[in-house]
Amino acid sequence: MSGPLRIVHYVNQFFGGIGGEDQAHVGVSVRAGAVGPGRVLEKALGDDARVEATLVCGDNFASENEADAARAIGAELDRLKPDVLVAGPAFGSGRYGLACALACKVAQSRGIPAITAMHPENPGASNARRGIYIVPTGASTTSMQAALDALAPLARRLGRGQTLGPSEAEGYMRRGTRRVHDRGRPGYQRALDMLLDKLHGRPYRSEVPYAPPERVSPAPPIADLARARIAMVTTGGLVRKGNPDRQVSANAVRYHRHTVAELESLSPAEWEAYHAGYFNHIVNSNPNYILPLSFLRDLERQGKVGRVHEHIYALPGVSTPVAVSAGHGRSIAADLKAGGVDGALLVAT
Amino acid sequence: MRLEMGTFPVTDITFGRATRYDAGRLTVDCDAVLAAVRQDPRIASAELEIAKPGESVRIWPVRDVIEPRIKVEGPGVCYPGICGREIATVGEGRTHRLAGMGVVEVSSVNWHDAGGDFVETYLDMSGHYGEMYPYQKLLHLCLVVEPDSTLNEEVKNYAVHKAALTVADQLGEAVRALAPPEYQIFELTPVDPKLPKVIYIWCVHSPQAMSGSPSAFCTATYGLTQLTPPWYLHPNEILDGALTGPYRTAFAMSWTVANNPLLLDLYRRHGRDWNFLGVISLRTEWTTQTEKQLMANQTAKLAQQLGADGAVVTWDAGGNEFIEVVRSIQACERLGIKTVFLTSEDDATDGAPTMLEPLPEADAIVSTSFFKNVTLAVPEAPAVARVIGLPTKIVRRGSTIGLHGGVDGAALPTAGPLPPPWRYDDHYGFTSLSCIE
Repeated sequence: MSGPLRIVHYVNQFFGGIGGEDQAHVGVSVRAGAVGPGRVLEKALGDDARVEATLVCGDNFASENEADAARAIGAELDRLKPDVLVAGPAFGSGRYGLACALACKVAQSRGIPAITAMHPENPGASNARRGIYIVPTGASTTSMQAALDALAPLARRLGRGQTLGPSEAEGYMRRGTRRVHDRGRPGYQRALDMLLDKLHGRPYRSEVPYAPPERVSPAPPIADLARARIAMVTTGGLVRKGNPDRQVSANAVRYHRHTVAELESLSPAEWEAYHAGYFNHIVNSNPNYILPLSFLRDLERQGKVGRVHEHIYALPGVSTPVAVSAGHGRSIAADLKAGGVDGALLVAT
Repeated sequence: MRLEMGTFPVTDITFGRATRYDAGRLTVDCDAVLAAVRQDPRIASAELEIAKPGESVRIWPVRDVIEPRIKVEGPGVCYPGICGREIATVGEGRTHRLAGMGVVEVSSVNWHDAGGDFVETYLDMSGHYGEMYPYQKLLHLCLVVEPDSTLNEEVKNYAVHKAALTVADQLGEAVRALAPPEYQIFELTPVDPKLPKVIYIWCVHSPQAMSGSPSAFCTATYGLTQLTPPWYLHPNEILDGALTGPYRTAFAMSWTVANNPLLLDLYRRHGRDWNFLGVISLRTEWTTQTEKQLMANQTAKLAQQLGADGAVVTWDAGGNEFIEVVRSIQACERLGIKTVFLTSEDDATDGAPTMLEPLPEADAIVSTSFFKNVTLAVPEAPAVARVIGLPTKIVRRGSTIGLHGGVDGAALPTAGPLPPPWRYDDHYGFTSLSCIE
């Protein structure tokens, strides 16, 4: 042991005592010692630990000037050289959560252990949980004490250079480092013992902790459909007849873009389905079921939609890992945006 | 319902003049067994081969592995309803089984012709790939069988599976009149009313949505494979083969269903740890969200009506079928039924959730590790000295991305190094593999 544990605490403008939303633009500043929730944190940490300094930053500043904020936080950490950085807790506050995740990443990139706490559905947890320690909290500040009580022992151990055990044992959220692990006892035994524990009200530990999916905010509605350019994207496994592009029927690593500018509808003589997840024969009799070109052309003629986009996008939506799917989605969306598309019809099966 | 189960452990299989069992040695009259198979005019060719643990042998394509079970006393037949067998309710009386062995159905017949849903399983009797499954420790009598090629896919399926059951029946007859070396009684006797009541919600895939046919071959309940509302089954019915495989994964075979360790342990601990109420079997791969939610609601309602305090849930599939499974868990929890979910996990790359629809109600999950062999980083299975079945195997890119390159649809020699099939998926927790982070 080498003296008391030295902690730097990151908080936003509100918890740092600068002000509310009107002060969210302020940049990174440093206060000596603990401020606001830092005092509760210090108590939770116990005697031989103290908050050396508090970094305060406006939530808007951190989200709008991420690179500047990261540089400023990094510079302060280089100067202060704490044993551990604690950020938040951010509870349900989205921008604050993202800023806490950023501060943790900046610290970790310098070899300084870091930990934060927030609500599992905070975008900071769902977008940035990969690689950082996040303790789950309630959605509001009423859970401050409980959050810091859970965080403090982990922060102490990280600060002393210890390695934490698996997330399911330590209580922090998944970090995206899931791997195969032999538990030494067959699955059926573990399942039935867990059932018995749950039935008798004894503690039990799920081997797959709840991880909420990432939330996507929908784009605003199309104001005037009659002037809009509409594209079609299908995960129904649409391929040109005979599958000349050699698309797979599952687990797609690529999607295909086809031109339909000259087509009124999809003919079963020219298109078919190759998809490992549903009865393909119905689609093979009428491919417009998975890419409703003929119906969209009708709406185009009637003036109900402005224009049918000349390209369509197709892949089989079967067994594709989420990370790969997200990549396909980003790539298709970027292409649609570049093509001046206002709206896209996503056809699932 | 009381079932006496007589177990005949098989320690060796040889071909001989008569089919008989003697102190662990099973002798098989190959000609007589094949003559019974060939009585069906739909069968074009049939051969028998023996595979033993530790041999450098690969069996391909494996459609099913069946444990021979025969009804000695009481109504009905084992594996009822399948391929035209009688449908009398089973689970009563006396059944004899040949333990430690399997009848392997080896045929090129695919499940259906609707595309995408291919037989992928092969078995190795030695090496790292074979060790991942319970079958490598068993003795196997392999029926290599092909039907009349002019028949449609459903009839082909019916013919080759019936042939495999015929072989199992022929072996079972050898122990019909013998006194079993091991003997066990299965009965859900009245227990201490204070014990918690537990139900097993056993979700099984239906091929109907994929094949477009209500009579396509697959996992069956009394031979029925179509989408049906949940069934309430006595565990004895399952021990007599009322619920059977096979389907896409090596863990969804008839042998694995009949030897499901979760079911057997639920039974074993009845009266000590809980009051085992039986099995609700839910068919999966409903098409619409409404159907999926309806099945979940009805499954939970049935569990509640039966008085369940707790439920353990398994499934044997992937993809959208997860929805009716996890919604059943949610529906049970909302009715106060405490659930545990035994499941495999999807790819976690980039920190993605490994449950297709993560729900906070599913708060007690036991993981049997990643379901894809690629995610598990299972290396290629090495070359073997002997192949039972087809000399080539088509390797599909969907099964091999990431780890094993190769061309989609390439036909590789079965005897050479082969990538594992795309799914591993220990549905019933035979092994101790899991995940952690």
